[in-house]
Amino acid sequence: MYLIDRVLTLILPFLYLMLLYRYSQIFFGHAPRYEHKTRVLLSLVLLIHAFELLLRQIYLKAMPLSSIFDALSFLAFSILLVYFLIERIYKNQASGFFILIFAFFPILIASFNPAWQQESNPLLANPLLAIHASLNIIGYTALVIGAVYALLYLIQFQNIKQRRFTRIFDQLPPLVYLGKMSKGAVLLGIIIMGLGLTLGHLQTKKIFGQFFLPDIKVILTDTIWLFYVAAYSIAHLKKWSTRLLAYLSVGGFLFLLAVLIGVGFGKSFHTFH
Amino acid sequence: MTRKLPLTLIGISYKTAPIEIREAVAFSKEEQAFLIRQLNHQFSFKGIMILSTCNRTEIYLSGESSADITAVRNWLNEYKDCLYFTDDGYFYVLQGKEAIVHFFQVISGLDSQILGEPQITGQVKEAYRLAYSCGGSDTFLNKLINFGLQAQKKVRRETFLSAGAVSVSYAAVELSRKIFTELKKQNIMLIGAGETVELAAQHFREKGVGRILVVNRTLEKAQTLAAKFSGEAYTLDDLPALLGEVDILLSATSSPGYILTREMVEKHQKNRPYKPLFLIDLAIPRDIDPAVDRLDSIYLYNLDDLEEIVQANLAKRKQELPRAKKIILQSVESFVQWFSTHASTYIIHHLSRYFENIRQHELKRLRSRLPLEGMPQIEYLTESLMKKILHQHIRLLRATVKKPQLYQQYLSFLSDLYGLKKK
Repeated sequence: MYLIDRVLTLILPFLYLMLLYRYSQIFFGHAPRYEHKTRVLLSLVLLIHAFELLLRQIYLKAMPLSSIFDALSFLAFSILLVYFLIERIYKNQASGFFILIFAFFPILIASFNPAWQQESNPLLANPLLAIHASLNIIGYTALVIGAVYALLYLIQFQNIKQRRFTRIFDQLPPLVYLGKMSKGAVLLGIIIMGLGLTLGHLQTKKIFGQFFLPDIKVILTDTIWLFYVAAYSIAHLKKWSTRLLAYLSVGGFLFLLAVLIGVGFGKSFHTFH
Repeated sequence: MTRKLPLTLIGISYKTAPIEIREAVAFSKEEQAFLIRQLNHQFSFKGIMILSTCNRTEIYLSGESSADITAVRNWLNEYKDCLYFTDDGYFYVLQGKEAIVHFFQVISGLDSQILGEPQITGQVKEAYRLAYSCGGSDTFLNKLINFGLQAQKKVRRETFLSAGAVSVSYAAVELSRKIFTELKKQNIMLIGAGETVELAAQHFREKGVGRILVVNRTLEKAQTLAAKFSGEAYTLDDLPALLGEVDILLSATSSPGYILTREMVEKHQKNRPYKPLFLIDLAIPRDIDPAVDRLDSIYLYNLDDLEEIVQANLAKRKQELPRAKKIILQSVESFVQWFSTHASTYIIHHLSRYFENIRQHELKRLRSRLPLEGMPQIEYLTESLMKKILHQHIRLLRATVKKPQLYQQYLSFLSDLYGLKKK
């Protein structure tokens, strides 16, 4: 089992790269005939990655989130999963190239993981806290994808306003679609993260007797989530334009990225474990 | 016996002749049906297809006719009572592979006046249907159409030769689809009731736009146009009130001043802040204040902007030409290969008959000299020898099919050796 999983871990970046290459071919219009084959490849890569995560879960008897490598691998899987759903719903492959770039680098770094790390933290063995972690990662992923769609919206907006009729203009989905996708992904992220955070707080209350523990990750995640909730609600009430929301989404993502890098989010677990 | 590709094309197009000449040599459906029967009868061509559109008249003749093409051209001159068909300045004659390449380019839109336009494919299909119904189709022509259509599909599928709008009104429709997800959920307001507005309305209707609101200075004209597209008619006085109901607005009037001002649009925006509004100004002088383009969620395009899109699309189509030509050449090669295999079958049949004739002739001579009881063995022996010799020829013929030069050399050799050319 260990050997199969190691092989899969090493193969996955190549599969993601292949997928990225296919989407770049679709985006740059070199191979419209690849569309169906790419859809099949996407499903296949998703299944292989899911199988790889499942193997590790069975072997470690805990959710594979013990190291930064594990977290990155799960992040890549989340991006792929969210994108897969978006592609299925909106039946448009033009944005795949932009989204999957964000999945490729995490999986590439994750493949450098030298060995499996048996989880020593008893919290991750707790299934509800494992779900809390998974929901938070998927929530972050949705926010990232929302920001990517917001960026694409801004590019297409500028293309239309500046009369730039390039291949990018041709290949990008309609402006309204990009705006809706961006808002939809952000809302999805807020809901999923909200659920994840609530679950986390309820569990700490159960285990440590306190609903809120003064941990840097808890504080920052809660702040980020509140920031998104506030911005989204105000934008909705004040009827801000899609363009302004797009700028906010991209800005929010950059802030989120800076915070994650700053505190080294994947390096360690909560301080209270 | 060397079998060349039996296709001849006599044609005229927008590239070689002005419209007056093209009009003079164009054929109506009735004339085409008559010509197909007559050319078959008079010159023994097996397949005859006539493609007559506003941009070209092309006569495709397939089969090995002994007729001189000049005679056919003279006959056509006589039929149309003109001298154009024999004028090499206007008419081109292509034969064999050259004619096939040309046909594949025509059917795929590579030779069209508007590069990549798909209308020609339907016109070729129509021409073939007529040829078929008038007995003007043979195996060669049938296969030519099949391969041609496959090439056309491949070009459309694998290149962007037919992508993007190449007319101003269609560019407006395409641009709307780049802003909105689905046009059927969008309402359009058309200001004016002239030809430009009507053409644009037609394009938008084809793409399934929602409500169509026609606004004009005189209500009668608005009603006439609205009736054509199941729309609603209003006067210009209703314009400010209706602005909140539309997502696309197209204006093409002869008004000397602006019909739609920034103030009017700003007021409208307050009522629907999230929704984009696409404004298309096809009027000269302009109907819409250019200052509205500075507003958020408002996209204003005028004639020059749309013309820019058309030019950009045409340039993109031109960039696709090398890839499209490559596909065409590959398809032509596949067709030539099919023909070679088909020709081999034909030659093998002739060779078998040739050997069988010799065998029967020799057996007939031997029958009078040899005892009857030995004849079955001799018949078996000669048949076996014949098959073995024939097998060598067939093997070599099939082995060289994919090497056209070698194949032709071998066919030549067989023709000379067995005198098949005469037969």
